[in-house]
Order: sequence, then C-alpha cells, then structure tokens
Amino acid sequence: MGTVLLFLGLLLLWIGSLGMLRFRSPYCRLQVAGVGDIGGAAVFLVGLLLHSGWEATGGIMIVLLLFLIFTNPLGTHAIAKSAFVRRVKD
Amino acid sequence: MNVAVEVLLGLSAIPPFLRIWRGPTLWDRLVGAASLNLRVTLFLAAHAAFFGHGLLLDVALAYAILGFLGTVLLARFGERGEH
Repeated sequence: MGTVLLFLGLLLLWIGSLGMLRFRSPYCRLQVAGVGDIGGAAVFLVGLLLHSGWEATGGIMIVLLLFLIFTNPLGTHAIAKSAFVRRVKD
Repeated sequence: MNVAVEVLLGLSAIPPFLRIWRGPTLWDRLVGAASLNLRVTLFLAAHAAFFGHGLLLDVALAYAILGFLGTVLLARFGERGEH
C-alpha cells in the first residue's frame, strides 16, 4: 500500500514537472505546478509514512506534510499575485 | 525499490531546473524554484525514511521553511522592484 502511494505521488510529481516544460505562460505553469506539487507531495509523504512505519520518523513527517499542504498554496498565490500586479501577459 | 524511488524523484527535479535556466520572465524562474525546493524537501524526507537517518527529516523541515520564505520574499520583490 505504501509502495503504491509512493509511485502514485511520483506520477503526480512527474506530471507537474513535464507540464512545467510544456505550458507557455507563467499562469499555466503555476496551475500545473500547484496541482502536481501539492498532490504529489501529499501522496508521496503519506506513502513514506505507510512504508517506513510510525516509530522511526512519524511525527516530524506529519508536521512536514501539514506544513507543505498549508504553505504551498501561499507560495503559488504570492507568485500569481506578483505576476498579475506587474501585468505579465497570459 | 528505495533506490528506484529516489532516482525517479531526483530525475523529476531536472525540468524545474531547466525552467529556472531558460524561463523568460522572473515569475517562470520563481515557479521553477518553488518546484525544485519541494522536490529537494521530498528527497530529504525519502532518504531519511528509507535509510534511517532521522536527522535528515529535521533538515527537510528547515529546508521547506526557508524555501517558502525565499519564494514569498522574491515574489514580493518582483511585485515592486525592477527586475
């Protein structure tokens, strides 16, 4: 189960990476990076947690997961607002 | 399997690096930098979980905090300043 989640997270991260090469404007890249990175990171960290067990590294990994889930949309919003204020063409 | 997961994760950090290199505007480079920070964080967490280095997880948490701070600060800088 943990292995399946690890490879599903890797698939989402690869979708984010390849979309960052394929798309044209900064907004499209933000969108694909947001979906791929947040989903991929959450699924990957849950997979790590199920794979390696709770005793060794459980608590800090939960903290890392919550931190990434809460701050990744903030970074995306900061970049998008900055590009919108400076009138970057879509 | 552990090594395969780490290699795939490390290879998925190449497209954000290319985006930092060739991105035409500052915001393309910021998107690439945020994505690269996330992959480095996940790589540190994976290495800590697979090979039992518990200290690397603290390093990953500190790296995530500093990466978020750098992304927000550079975005605010690009909002006002000349680039």
